[in-house]
Amino acid sequence: MHFQSNRFSTHVWLILTVLTIATFSIGEAGLAGKGIMLSLLAIAFIKGQLVANYFMGLRQAGWFWRGIIIGYFLVVGGMITVAYLIGLK
Amino acid sequence: MQYKSQAVAKPYFIAAIGLFIGQILFGLIMGLQYVVGDFMFPAIPFNAARMVHTNLLIVWLLFGFMGAAYYLVPEESETELFSPKLAITMFWIFLVAGALTIVGYLAVPYATLAKITMNSLFPTMGREFLEQPTITKLGIVVVALAFLFNIGMTVLKGRKTAISLVLLLGLLGLAVFFLFSFYNPDNLVKDKYFWWWVVHLWVEGVWELILGAILAFVLIKITGVDREVVEKWLYVIITMTLITGIIGTGHHYYWIGTPGYWQVWGSIFSALEPIPFFMLTIFAFNMVNKRRREHPNKAATLWALGTGVMAFLGAGVWGFLHTLAPVNYYTHGTQLTAAHGHMAFYGAYVMVVLTIISYAMPVLRGRAANCEKAQVVEMWSFWLMTVSIVFITLFLTGAGILQTWLQRMGDHPMSFMDAQNAIAIFYWMREGSGLVFLIGLATYVTSFFIKGETKAI
Amino acid sequence: MFSRKGGGAPLLFYREFPNMTASATPEETCSQETDGPPGDLAIWIFILAEMLVFGVMFLVYAFTRANQVELFNASQLTLSRTAGAVNTLVLITSSYCVVRAVSAIKQGMSHLCANWLSGAILLGGLFTSIKLWEFSEKFSAGISLESNDFFMFYLMLTFFHFMHVLMGMTILAFVTAKARRGGYSAQNHVGVETGASFWHMVDLLWIILFPLVYVIR
Repeated sequence: MHFQSNRFSTHVWLILTVLTIATFSIGEAGLAGKGIMLSLLAIAFIKGQLVANYFMGLRQAGWFWRGIIIGYFLVVGGMITVAYLIGLK
Repeated sequence: MQYKSQAVAKPYFIAAIGLFIGQILFGLIMGLQYVVGDFMFPAIPFNAARMVHTNLLIVWLLFGFMGAAYYLVPEESETELFSPKLAITMFWIFLVAGALTIVGYLAVPYATLAKITMNSLFPTMGREFLEQPTITKLGIVVVALAFLFNIGMTVLKGRKTAISLVLLLGLLGLAVFFLFSFYNPDNLVKDKYFWWWVVHLWVEGVWELILGAILAFVLIKITGVDREVVEKWLYVIITMTLITGIIGTGHHYYWIGTPGYWQVWGSIFSALEPIPFFMLTIFAFNMVNKRRREHPNKAATLWALGTGVMAFLGAGVWGFLHTLAPVNYYTHGTQLTAAHGHMAFYGAYVMVVLTIISYAMPVLRGRAANCEKAQVVEMWSFWLMTVSIVFITLFLTGAGILQTWLQRMGDHPMSFMDAQNAIAIFYWMREGSGLVFLIGLATYVTSFFIKGETKAI
Repeated sequence: MFSRKGGGAPLLFYREFPNMTASATPEETCSQETDGPPGDLAIWIFILAEMLVFGVMFLVYAFTRANQVELFNASQLTLSRTAGAVNTLVLITSSYCVVRAVSAIKQGMSHLCANWLSGAILLGGLFTSIKLWEFSEKFSAGISLESNDFFMFYLMLTFFHFMHVLMGMTILAFVTAKARRGGYSAQNHVGVETGASFWHMVDLLWIILFPLVYVIR
């Protein structure tokens, strides 16, 4: 049975908090455009991976499950990117 | 059978099959009327035949559900049915009321039927599938309440299982949503909005719970798989049903005058409605694959597996084909709709009732399964009916696509009747398939009368 | 099985399988050696289904936006980004609480577990309060589902998510009650992990929703 230390979990939480503040700051600064959009998606991807792997505990669940979550973010994030680019035209 | 009172299921099943035969005969009449418009006019005009065909379908399926409940609930609850007498009384009331209603549709013009049943006191007639006189509808409510009471009391006094609870929930929902047939707003948009609270929330909602529960019951019996496994599948399936089907009602709200956002939400959620049906198929095959016993009733196993497949194809796939708003804009109300409707009803509900009858009838007649010869004949009837429905569906799909193209697309759209003439060939082929279906049904009935060596229960 | 006598008996298309012992046992207690995510497998099927539905909704939002970029950009500015960001932090923290709760029960400390779970639920309550404030703000400004496509999506997406927060809080409440009366142990706490997994999904969905609806322009 895997045991994740509380300290580690706290560190993950800290990173998630920082990333959230980053997203918020980008919003407050009114930034827009392709690069910003991709950054925001990347931040969301990282946050999602942190939650999935270390909060949900999928790190220990094998590549099938981790793959589903990674795939999910890639597909959804990818399609959001496509939609955004279409909107730029 | 384990409990004497399960015997009340038998008349329900017999009535179900009898009404099924009637339904198909009237289906054939209409199929011919599509291409020979005056066939049986004025004795049985198309609209009368249609009412008889659709109403018989619903009523025989209800008899089937009730029979299924009367059979499986005592066994699940491990106690006798609360009141077999009540069950039999309700059987006759339902049968006679139903028969009288059908006679009413055929014997007098619809307006006359409305007059003699005093529809004007509380008007509920005049809507598709809900053509029954108000007094019939009230009778249905009474029968349903008595049925729910009987089954409910039985579950209460005995063991509560996931199967019996899901079944009860589905049946309760069936009864509750039927009440919306009494709500008849003047506003046409509201009228149509709430009509679907009966129809959609029945067949794409609570009826799926009934379907799941019955199938789960039969699978436990014939495969011997752990109850816990089966029940877990059942919970997942009905959860997906409700998640997708409730807001999925919106796929009927695209063009009736409701706000435009229904095109978004109806499309999204109804697009996912095939998922529970897909799970049902995997579930059935998985349970049979993992079976721990070789049950002598092979026919029932075939029906169970077939239900999964045909329900997925007819309800899931064919439903998906025309569920997205941009597609539905063109196909709404065409033969594509009829194609889906036939395969969906057959695959999901006709087949699950035939599944439980296939499993339970031999037991009710004192054996674990019918003799080999009878089962073979029954399995022939499975293939005849199933394959002919597939062809009916394919022909109507062809008709529907052509109709959509000719009537609603292209540079020079045709009139309705011109398009109907153009697709007549499909109607002829559909009728041919319908005849094969009838042969299948006759084969099915025959299988009940074939004698031979059977195993004790 | 029947022998195929006479004129072509119809196919029984499933093959004979060797008699297998029960290959699907009720979920075993606790162990997640290598395979299988934590908690009951059934909740994971549910989680995947929910992620699918929300994923589709996110994409429909994105593609609808592509046709009405100015409208979406303008309407987005009327949202309270602060409320959204605070809510993101609230959910992340509540997920952290759930992680601590699972950690506690893995060491057999059921009261500590219950306390952490209570914290998660409270934070969930904070989320819903902030969300309700957002909704009431919009409604009193006359915004509704029919105002425009952006607001239709904003209201529906956050409403659907809101309902799942409530569902998650309910699940956690049941788990907390059971933990408090000592219903879980270091060896058997599948229920805790099951509830936890669902809650993390709720967090995960918001992690996508917040930037998508509130920030990306």
